[in-house]
Amino acid sequence: MSDTTRVFTYALLTALATGLGAIPFAFVRGISPAVVAWTNAVASGLMLGASFGLVAEGTGHGAWETVAGATVGVGFILFTQRLLARSGVRLGQGRGPGAQRMLLMIIVMTVHSFSEGVAVGVSFGGGMALAAAITIAIAVHNIPEGLAISAVLRPRGASLAACVGWSVFSSLPQPIMAVPAFLFVEAVRPALPYGIGFAAGAMVFMVLVELLPEAFDRARRAPVALIVCLTLVAMVVFQQYL
Amino acid sequence: MIADPTLAVLTYSGLALLSAGFGAIPVALRQRLPPSWLGWANAVAAGLMLGVAYILMAAGLPRTPAIGATGAVLGIGFLYWTHGVAGTQELDLDRLGDPAPDYGYQLLLVNTLHAAPEGIAIGVAMTLSPWLGGFMALAIAVHNVPEAAVLAAVLKSRGLTLIQAAGAATATRVSQVLFAVTTFAVVAAAPGLAPWALGVAVGALLYLVMAELLPHCYRQAGHTSIALVAILAMGMVVLLAAGAP
Ligand SMILES: [Zn+2]
Ligand SMILES: [Zn+2]
Repeated sequence: MSDTTRVFTYALLTALATGLGAIPFAFVRGISPAVVAWTNAVASGLMLGASFGLVAEGTGHGAWETVAGATVGVGFILFTQRLLARSGVRLGQGRGPGAQRMLLMIIVMTVHSFSEGVAVGVSFGGGMALAAAITIAIAVHNIPEGLAISAVLRPRGASLAACVGWSVFSSLPQPIMAVPAFLFVEAVRPALPYGIGFAAGAMVFMVLVELLPEAFDRARRAPVALIVCLTLVAMVVFQQYL
Repeated sequence: MIADPTLAVLTYSGLALLSAGFGAIPVALRQRLPPSWLGWANAVAAGLMLGVAYILMAAGLPRTPAIGATGAVLGIGFLYWTHGVAGTQELDLDRLGDPAPDYGYQLLLVNTLHAAPEGIAIGVAMTLSPWLGGFMALAIAVHNVPEAAVLAAVLKSRGLTLIQAAGAATATRVSQVLFAVTTFAVVAAAPGLAPWALGVAVGALLYLVMAELLPHCYRQAGHTSIALVAILAMGMVVLLAAGAP
């Protein structure tokens, strides 16, 4: 196997791992407002925790570049929100604000995978010695992201198969971006902090503007806050051990 | 720079306490602050606190993630529990003109409790490095202004004079100084406690943002403006902290 094929195969495996995140939702069939609020809280904690990790990595490459990328990420969400609201989008049986939120979630997580794909490719660029370790780390990192997507999709009526499918879909940019990033490491490396900042900015803003306000609208504050904080801490620690 | 570190903690956290007095300025300028202003003020404070929690986490967690996480869970659990005992889980920090006598006491209690982990954050940051301690005190000082403004506005709407309202709002921050100095002294004497204190501060700050500051902001102003204000404040902290020597 050539190195390029190996990078692609490894990155594809990490994308498939994302689908595992849907499994805990096999038995969730919640339509109650509280379930939506609590799953929003789980997704918020996971995404904030993941963003903390990304920001730490991005500022290591360059703080200004990371913050500049994050600003574009915020703008991207604002723009996509307006676009979706105007288009009257439908997804499955869902429509209206629920369908918009589902679609926005899929878009945010998919777009954030582009920068992560670049990061994977660049890290492989250091040589194939660590390839297996990096692959496992990214694959495990992707599982909670599938969890976050399914947490938003499943209580709004998506089937389990759809949750798995969209989770895997959201990570497909990783193999697609990893290969060119691997082949042109030196050219791509300067763009890395911008991309990482973009991913973090988009995820944090998605949490602040969509997921948290909806959660606080639908359930009492204390359990929502508790779930967000505990998931966030778990996600940060989880990343430390990878 | 102040040579004696304990004196430095006292001075920095004391200045942060006094900066809460600036919160009286918007309250003095307007007879009655619009609700959206109170929402944005709390969003600024929330963003700054999220930024501070991130900085503490990035500075200390990688060395001892397990202890840090245990501390964080303790911090989160403690606040969850105290809110439960005090019956203040659903307390809005910014109800203008609510005359209920209980509301005043609950506000002062919640604000005093709120400031305590912020003091721990300053104290433990100081044990990691004087620069980080100073930065943490500065961030907390800036965030005290909008938080004190909200509290002073509510107290004034309940019939207190401007001076009384500003004085009470500043006084609730005394717990910041107490906890900053105590945390610094204890951790300096027993450095093994540093990751515990760090974890408690991070967990508590996160919980305060999620349980006290953010929920009601979204009702005072639009989702988009609240999210923008909060992420901007957070970004400023991240950017400025990257200038660490
Ligand atoms: Zn990710
Ligand atoms: Zn505060």
